Amino acid sequence: MTNLFTSTAAASQAQPATAPATGVGRAVLQLTGIEKVYQTRTIETVALNHVNLTINQGEFVSVMGPSGCGKSTLLSIMGLLDEPTSGTLELDGRPVQSYSDKELARLRNHKIGFVFQSYHLINDLSVLDNVELPLLYRSGVSGRQRRQRAYAALEKVGLGARTSHFPSQLSGGQRQRVAIARALAGEPEIILADEPTGNLDSVMGEEIMDLLLTLNREQGTTIVMVTHDEQQALKTQRLIRFFDGSQVS
Amino acid sequence: MIRHLFTLMWNRRRANGLLVVEIFLAFVVLFAVSTIAANLWSNYRQPLGFEYDQVWQLNFTTGSQPRAEQLGTLRQLLAEIRANPQVAGAASTASNTPFSFNDSQTRLDFTDPRDSTQRPIGPINTYVVGPELREVMGLELVAGRWFGPADAVQGAHIPVVIDERLQRAMYPDGRSALDGQLAGDNEPPRRVIGVVRAYRTDGELQEPLPSIFQAIQPEDTLFLAQSVLLRVKPGSGAALEKQLTDAVRRIGPGWTGTIRTLPDMHTVQMKVRLTKPLLLGAMSVFLLLNVALGLLGVLWLNISRRRGELGVRRAMGATAGGISRQVLGEILVVTTFGLVLGLLVAVQFPLLGVQNVRPDIYFTAMLLAAGALYLLATVCALYPSRLAAGIQPAVALREE
Ligand SMILES: Nc1ncnc2c1ncn2[C@@H]1O[C@H](COP(=O)(O)OP(=O)(O)OP(=O)(O)O)[C@@H](O)[C@H]1O
Ligand SMILES: [Mg+2]
Repeated sequence: MTNLFTSTAAASQAQPATAPATGVGRAVLQLTGIEKVYQTRTIETVALNHVNLTINQGEFVSVMGPSGCGKSTLLSIMGLLDEPTSGTLELDGRPVQSYSDKELARLRNHKIGFVFQSYHLINDLSVLDNVELPLLYRSGVSGRQRRQRAYAALEKVGLGARTSHFPSQLSGGQRQRVAIARALAGEPEIILADEPTGNLDSVMGEEIMDLLLTLNREQGTTIVMVTHDEQQALKTQRLIRFFDGSQVS
Repeated sequence: MIRHLFTLMWNRRRANGLLVVEIFLAFVVLFAVSTIAANLWSNYRQPLGFEYDQVWQLNFTTGSQPRAEQLGTLRQLLAEIRANPQVAGAASTASNTPFSFNDSQTRLDFTDPRDSTQRPIGPINTYVVGPELREVMGLELVAGRWFGPADAVQGAHIPVVIDERLQRAMYPDGRSALDGQLAGDNEPPRRVIGVVRAYRTDGELQEPLPSIFQAIQPEDTLFLAQSVLLRVKPGSGAALEKQLTDAVRRIGPGWTGTIRTLPDMHTVQMKVRLTKPLLLGAMSVFLLLNVALGLLGVLWLNISRRRGELGVRRAMGATAGGISRQVLGEILVVTTFGLVLGLLVAVQFPLLGVQNVRPDIYFTAMLLAAGALYLLATVCALYPSRLAAGIQPAVALREE
């Protein structure tokens, strides 16, 4: 069944075979020899084992693999939330280690939109305030602009009517959509989505998938999405399979 | 960002409600203590009006001596005291001497000669004193003259010297009170012959009252003048004290004399006047400690329970410094909620004019109390906010 995927195993390969016309180009994220080892008192877990991977601009990549194989770990390293134990991550051709805390914060804010596996909404903030969050940490955006852009993002995920609810008043699927809207609100160049449709019914899942595809196609947003849904993975340009911390295809 | 913090803390008002109440109560108590402190300070800064370093007070009792003989004995005693080479001056006075805790107050009617409006002024501290008092206490004359020998004879008017405070009470527009008249019940009117700076016998911590001086008349010597204030030469001590009390016993049949130095009396008065404020101060320190613990608890909870949230904020682009400022900001916002409630209560005092305290003192006290609480909140947040800044987003996000 792997033959169905437009996958590339080798990180060194600069261009995927099926690069669409819409500006798939230079490498935005380049992982070289990335290792992540979690050291606890009793055991040592190798979450990522020497991963070499290139994500090109404008690409839509899906990541699949069994539970615990290191998908979320990979995403949080790509999202500058975690540091690898060894190896280098380059963002736009510059090693991430060379960035200061301030620069990293700026990159997370401007460049990257994160959809967490467990949503991570702030319970004490309304849906709208949650979605505004990335814009709050961006200078030069007025309160009114924040509001407008957050509204627009919520409209896109079909939650335009739920803006003053609190996360605890929403269903799991609705929360997930809020988390997606929050990632969209900042209009980032890269979206890292950890099972964004994991809690959605198939219809809603389709809609979100379409939304991501549109974003990728029309705005050239680079997307890396972890999914357990083969059907969805099929729609992306490239599928990467992980097993036990290593990339297997 | 500030608005965001207010929204956040408003949404979290239930969790922080207790702390807000605590801060509110702390503010009210601190406001009360600050009002007292500001009032004391404002009193303290005003001129005392006299010098007491080298002044002693001699009190005597006349025993069973017939009244007719007492005046002669007193004159003899004063002459003997003044002849002592260690004594630079001696003045008879009523018992309301500096730092003695005695006072004698009156209310007088003042008629403004310009428009004939009559106004009661009071309470006024009244001092019945010998003419030597000005020298002994080093009173500063600012207008007119002090009592002379002629004033010992009662005329149609009672000649009085007043202090600047009473002058202002008579003429708020700043006119001179010389020759002004003050009337009391069933007494000849008083005519102002001079103005001195001040004579705050209640001490520097007490709210100053207007003062009026009247020269001792020979006939009231025995009722009013059972004290003598003496200016002694530097270096006088126990030897002079013994000479003086011996003189009282020798000259006055059955008389006894006791001597206290004004610096000693001053110390005693300061202790008495400061006891209550210091107790209140100590109580408010405990209260502040309590508030500090509450603040630390909330901060601690905020950080340990909300690691995930702080991680999300980092992921959304908050810097480490931004997180630390947020933690500080949150606690300042909670403090502000408590302060707003407290200020609503506090402004009632100047608005309603309760307690006869000047409004500027109330406002100073509000600033002091609010400043103290903000400072406390900031200090409490210093360490927790640094802890929060060190949270690794990936670790924090995984915990939830
Ligand atoms: N902080 C940690 N300490 C110890 N081990 C960890 C830690 N974080 C992750 N791991 C381990 O690293 C491995 C990879 O975890 P990760 O969350 O990346 O898996 P995943 O592929 O996202 O799984 P899932 O599909 O269930 O979300 C797991 O075995 C996990 O137990
Ligand atoms: Mg995962």
